[in-house]
Amino acid sequence: MGLTALLARVATGAPVPVFAVAGPGTRSLIRDLRLRPEIRLVDTPRPASVLLVGGLVPAEMEMAVARVHDAMAHPRATVLWSAGAAGLGRPEGFDDAIPVDGDPVAACVAAYRDILVGRRGSEPPILPDVDPAPWRGVGPYGQGGSGMTGGVPYGRPMAELGPDPDGLRLDVLPVAVGPLFPRFPAGLVVDARLAGDLVLEVEVANLLANATAAAPSPEADPFLRALGERVAIADLELARARAHLRSVAEALLAAGLEALALRALRIAANLRAGDGALVRRLATIISATQVLRWSLRGVGAVPPEAVAGLGAGPVARASGLREDLRLEDPAYRDLGFAPLVDAGGDAAARLRLRLGEAVQSLDLAARAGARAATATGRVETPRGRLEAESSASERLFTVLPSLLREHEWGDVVATIVSLDLDLEEGPLARGRARPEAAA
Amino acid sequence: MRPYVGAEVALLATAAALVAGVYLVAVLDRFAAALVAGAVGSWRRLLVVPLAAAAALLVQQRRTTERPDGAGWAVAPALFFGLAAFALALVPLGPDLVIADPSTGFVAFSAAIAFVMIAVFLHGWSPNSPFALHGAYRYGAAALSFQIPFLLAMLATALPAESLSIVDIVRAQEPAWNVLRQPLGLPLYLVVGVGVSFWGPLNLSDASDVAGGTSVEDSGVARLLWTIARSAMLVAVAAMGAAGFLGGWWGPILPGPAWMIAKTGAVLLAILAAGHLLARVRIATFVLVAWAVLIPLALLNVFVSGAILL
Amino acid sequence: MVALGPLAVSFAVFVAGFAVVLASWWLGGRPRSPAQTAPERVPFGGGADPRVHAWNRYHVRYYSMALIFLAFDMEMVFMYPWAVVFVREGLIAMVEMGMFITILLLGVLYAWRERALEWA
Repeated sequence: MGLTALLARVATGAPVPVFAVAGPGTRSLIRDLRLRPEIRLVDTPRPASVLLVGGLVPAEMEMAVARVHDAMAHPRATVLWSAGAAGLGRPEGFDDAIPVDGDPVAACVAAYRDILVGRRGSEPPILPDVDPAPWRGVGPYGQGGSGMTGGVPYGRPMAELGPDPDGLRLDVLPVAVGPLFPRFPAGLVVDARLAGDLVLEVEVANLLANATAAAPSPEADPFLRALGERVAIADLELARARAHLRSVAEALLAAGLEALALRALRIAANLRAGDGALVRRLATIISATQVLRWSLRGVGAVPPEAVAGLGAGPVARASGLREDLRLEDPAYRDLGFAPLVDAGGDAAARLRLRLGEAVQSLDLAARAGARAATATGRVETPRGRLEAESSASERLFTVLPSLLREHEWGDVVATIVSLDLDLEEGPLARGRARPEAAA
Repeated sequence: MRPYVGAEVALLATAAALVAGVYLVAVLDRFAAALVAGAVGSWRRLLVVPLAAAAALLVQQRRTTERPDGAGWAVAPALFFGLAAFALALVPLGPDLVIADPSTGFVAFSAAIAFVMIAVFLHGWSPNSPFALHGAYRYGAAALSFQIPFLLAMLATALPAESLSIVDIVRAQEPAWNVLRQPLGLPLYLVVGVGVSFWGPLNLSDASDVAGGTSVEDSGVARLLWTIARSAMLVAVAAMGAAGFLGGWWGPILPGPAWMIAKTGAVLLAILAAGHLLARVRIATFVLVAWAVLIPLALLNVFVSGAILL
Repeated sequence: MVALGPLAVSFAVFVAGFAVVLASWWLGGRPRSPAQTAPERVPFGGGADPRVHAWNRYHVRYYSMALIFLAFDMEMVFMYPWAVVFVREGLIAMVEMGMFITILLLGVLYAWRERALEWA
């Protein structure tokens, strides 16, 4: 086939379609890969050719990784990226995967080239070829038995009727989304009961809760270090601004603004204390059109009483609460620090607040000099209060279902994105407190 | 009898216009994205990458899902692309340079736009996948909301022409382009024109919060064809915008067809750049705005431009 | 060659575009790899296993809006010929259509007040 070979050669010039899985500790590393033009991170595994797995995936998520692998079209390959922590195990079944310690992008590009030109075979499916529900009804399509909706047509049951807030009785679709849904943090499973586009009931699960985060280099994260030692305020605030910009990039991605998200990520990647003007310019571009504010206004409203005392950081401050551990720190008081507070309480307010805090943090970093934060065993991370036992995102989990219930699916996604949940902070902090557990 | 060309010429001309237009959309979209992201790469890369990406999809396997509606899945991009070609064939390049100009050209164009809803819904329905289905129903809500403002904005251009023929509509713009006579028309048309090909702020059906919506299960040639059909429809909408509101072939110095092509390119660039700057709207808010704001504005546009003519 | 009218020519373009894409779909989907296993065909849900089929009796929350759309779509049918004769008929055409549209718009206002255009 001359034509196929020719097309395959032309195709090697395309950005590699990669579906990325971020194991605990690799979240921001994976997110920053979006800046690399050689690859393209895709939202669904179907058109992906390379599955990139960063770090060590906890056992609870291995099945999901295998399903996503099998969903990819041929030709396909898997790259297991150690992200700095050498000697990782590999998930069960991934015997053909390519392990890499260095640059994951180069490995993805090489793997893609090899499967295109046939130097490397496309990976076979991992999961056994077993029907999800082998029972079939009496009809020719497996329907029947106890009626079309009661039986198991085509090897899977149909949705059942259920009550609806409108007073009608229509189908309620039970759908679990995650732990690898691209808009959610890795490990988050949203188990929703959908009536049309409305989420009636929802349960959330955190598959990273018991992960032993073999963090690539926990010492690189100044907030984790600040749990036990004095860390320069300049380092902390720069990391905070960077995290806020990455969170803004996620919100922009969810709103369909990939180009602007890249701009935010690029600023974050090369961030220095003097970059306040760049961030302000980004904020101007975002707010100039007003459409983002218009589409986020009233979405994901968090009443202050729901999060008071949870130490939810920007989420609490965007709901009008003046909660910030930095207020208790004499070093910060010395700098004249006062937390930004926004009474909006919705996703738009949280976006606004994060952009404002990014600018504020850069200003603090520029003025901090050699001052160091006081070590108290707790630290105000970009997500809120982090302790050795729990993180702000884990504590937010208790109120999460009440924020999502009876909202349209798009609003549910926008809400979760705006909360900027970070499920790896907890395992990383616990791994630091008990080093033997992480080993 | 209205002017038209032979079938062979029509097919070749439409095919050439579509190939050029779809490629232009791919390049301009990357260019606009790079400008907004603040890092324009090399021109060579900008021109070559769309072709390489198309080749990459061509050598990829086309996947199927559990018990899909296979026929519907195949027909959806074909219907969408056919409608785009049909719509584009109605747009004149010059007073005598037209593939087909039926006396009811405007009605035919509107019919093509209305049928897009069936193509998109079918595309979301067929894979038997929750996110795709969700995108399909979202498009239903969006399409039912923007059809009426779309038709009304277009209809206002037929008033001065006293005809439903596209050539007559352009010819009637000799004294003044419709964008000047009916300043509300072009913005309204662009808002809903973007909705038809679900681009940028109105990309509700293939959105990122449903992991790609109706195209979530598409891989290989299926994804390529769907992207091509979407881009082709965007070209048709931009070309009709240039003809209906920006005076079509009218313009000084340059020959008419050159003006038409330049105007179409300008409309395309505006739509694509807006797609990278304007966030996706909420579906519920959009429906409300379409009925409570866009339709009254479009009616105002019709009656004010009518009153001026009397 | 048969002389086609302008509408028929544009319809021929539609048929050709439809056929080309359908043929590409078929050609591009020929099996080049082993048949897909059951887990390979599972619809994407972020790595979760779906419990039921996606097809369901979907609650279309905009059904009332869809009904208003029908009324407006009928109105559009009258507006096409109206636009052609508008200048010739003058003020009377304007007044007549104005009355018709006003009645329809009152319907929209009522639907808006009843919050029929909002959901979620």
